[in-house]
Formats: sequence, C-alpha cells, structure tokens
Amino acid sequence: MSTRIVPWLAVVGGGIGLLASFVLMVEKVALLEDPGYVPTCSINPVLSCGSVMVTPQAEAFGMPNPLLGITGFAVVVTAGVGLLAGFRPPRWFWLGLQAGTTFGVVFVHWLIWQSLYSIEALCPYCMVVWAVTIPLFWYTTLHNLARRPAGALLARYHSFVLALWFVVIIALIAVKFWDYWSTLV
Amino acid sequence: MPKEKIVATGRAWPSANVLLTIGVVVVAIVVLGGVLLTGKDDPLASSTVPSDVLVNENSHRLTDAGDDAVTVVEFLDFQCPACAGYYANVTKEVERDYGDRITFVVRNFPLDSHPLAMLAAKAAEAAGRQGEYEAMYHSLYDNYERWALTDGDISDDTARARAAFDTFAKEIGLDLKRFHADMASDAVADRIAADRADGERAEVTGTPALFINGHLFSPSGDTFGEVERQFRNQLDAELAK
Repeated sequence: MSTRIVPWLAVVGGGIGLLASFVLMVEKVALLEDPGYVPTCSINPVLSCGSVMVTPQAEAFGMPNPLLGITGFAVVVTAGVGLLAGFRPPRWFWLGLQAGTTFGVVFVHWLIWQSLYSIEALCPYCMVVWAVTIPLFWYTTLHNLARRPAGALLARYHSFVLALWFVVIIALIAVKFWDYWSTLV
Repeated sequence: MPKEKIVATGRAWPSANVLLTIGVVVVAIVVLGGVLLTGKDDPLASSTVPSDVLVNENSHRLTDAGDDAVTVVEFLDFQCPACAGYYANVTKEVERDYGDRITFVVRNFPLDSHPLAMLAAKAAEAAGRQGEYEAMYHSLYDNYERWALTDGDISDDTARARAAFDTFAKEIGLDLKRFHADMASDAVADRIAADRADGERAEVTGTPALFINGHLFSPSGDTFGEVERQFRNQLDAELAK
C-alpha cells in the first residue's frame, strides 16, 4: 500500500526539491555577483541562508551543493513521471533510485548536523530539501524491501516512522535554537 | 482505496500506523507548544538576555555582591579604544563606587580587527589561573598606551605587547613560567572561545557591550561624561527596585 505513493512522491517531492535547489543556485549566483546581496531567505539571525551559503559546507564536493540537487531531483521527477505513465522498471532501475536517494539522505543528514552544530543557522530553502529527501529515501526503500519480512513490518508503520523521523529533527532544531524561538512567542 | 481495505478486513478503527502517527504528531505539538508557552515570562523577558548566557559560574567578577545583587556584565576587547575609554571614564569608577552593591562580571570578546586583543585576553586569563585576573585586567587598561597603541594607532607589535604583559605579570607577582605556559594553553584558548560564544548568543556585535541585569546598555550621549551619567542612573534605578 504505502509504496504506491512513490511515483507521486517522486513527482511532487522531487519537483519541490528541484525548485528549492534551483532557487538556491540563483541566490548563490546573485550573492557571487554582489557580495552585499541579502538573499530572500535571510529573515533573521537564525533563519539565514546567506550565512549558510558562504560556508565551506555549502560546497561539500568542491562545487555548490544546489548543482547536485538540481541534477538529482530532475532525475527523480523524470522517474516519477515515467512510473505514472505506466513504466514498469526492472529491479536495477529501482536499485539505482535507491542508490541516489540513499546518497541524498546521508548527505542531507550531514548537512543538518553541520547546519545545527557547526554553522548554527538554518537556511529555509535547504530545509525544504531536507524535508523532501527523507520521504523520497524512505518510500523508495520500502518499495525495494517490499518482499522481505522486515520490509513488510516497516511498511505497516510507514507514516509512524516518518513522523518520528521528522519529530526528532524538529526537536533537535527546537533545542538548539531554543533561546531564540522563545523570544519570538 | 483505504475504505475498501477497512471493510474487507472488518476493521472499524484506523490502523495502528495511523494512530501512532497521529500520536507522535500530537505529542510533539503539545510538548513543543506547552514548553514554549509556559516558558514565556513577563514581556520584559523578550528584551532580556538570560543570565546563564551572560554569567558562568567561573566567570571573572571584578566585584561580587552575590548572585541576587544587580549584575553588570561587560563583554570587552582589551585592545579596543572604546573599551579603554569606557574603562577610564565609566567602569573603573563604577567598580570603585558601587563595588559593595553590584556584581560586576567581565567576559572576553576579542575582535579580529584588533591584532593584539586575543593575546591580551590570553594574558588576562593566564593571570586568572593564578587568581589574578582582576589585577591583570587593571594593568592592561591602566597601561593601555604601553602595549595597545603605536603612535596613537592600533598596534600589531606582538613582541612589545608580550614584553609589557611580562612586566605586568612581574608587578602582580605571578609565576612567570607558569604564566607563559598558561597563555599558550588550550584551556585558556577554550575559555576565551566560550566567552565569545556566549557573547554571540547574547547578540554582541561590538565592544564594549554592557548588560545591566540582562538589558543591553545603549547610551545616547556623545561624551563619556553623559555616558557615565546614564550608566549610573540606570544602575541606581535597578538598585532602587
């Protein structure tokens, strides 16, 4: 049941991720053209992509991270459209998608860690990418594990696991920036 | 599709998955919202920096009238001219006149734009490890021109500054060998970094940054005379509370 969501998730989630990566890249170029440029997502001291975008972590592989997002999410959207059009891919295709989303989810968690504990600022567009990468990885994994017993168990509690996953990250963010959030209320 | 399934299996209740999902989300919202709302104090709190950010148990106190006393916290850079000006015109006298009534805490906030600020902070912290932070603090500011300036400009003469710090250390009566070892130690560097991190959490952007009972002191006067009067007025107002 839960894995029927994969094609739609790939199109919608991948599309959102693509848009966020694209905007980040545009902002990055604007920042390079004019170092004084304040990106649209720099809202306050905590929510500030300007301070995140200039860090070494924003070019983890020697090039701007959004380039990875633009290419990766474009592939995800294409795969999703193919699946919706009736494409029944062979197993290797699914494993390829698994490899891509696994890389994405590991990279995203490294970025979350860096953002919270090294950079100490949050970049809203980046958080959009975090939010779509996790379910993309999760439901692709469930699809690929569907015929195994562990997979069936996880699939039965698919949204519970996902909700728990998000709650943990939100809690880490809340704790880390507590002093700041509490001044806003 | 879900409807069919429920009918087919004869279940009238949502699945365990749905219940658990809703449970997690509700608990998260209640906990986060609850803590956020109950943690909210009086409206003043929004403009007050929490005292655990401003003062640590081991922070250096120039004067100590206890934890309940009016507390002044200064984030300072030993080489910043404005800090030296504050010292000479405001804080030195406040320390003397209010010493028995307020707790005056000083924290390191060396700025990168001052080449000798970090070294001076290390000298003060190293003296602190022999129990003489306050003495070194006074020596550094009382003799500001001797190490911090060259021909009236910010100096970057490390050798001269080190020689001056050694002189101060000898005058204070420090164990010079230990003083040098402490200045180069990670413990001292970590402590300065921790002070600076707290300063950043308190949104300190420049020095000196003075907090009276958690409120940033922002004078409107142009001369040190006016600044000093405003500072004393705010102190008196807090003391009268």
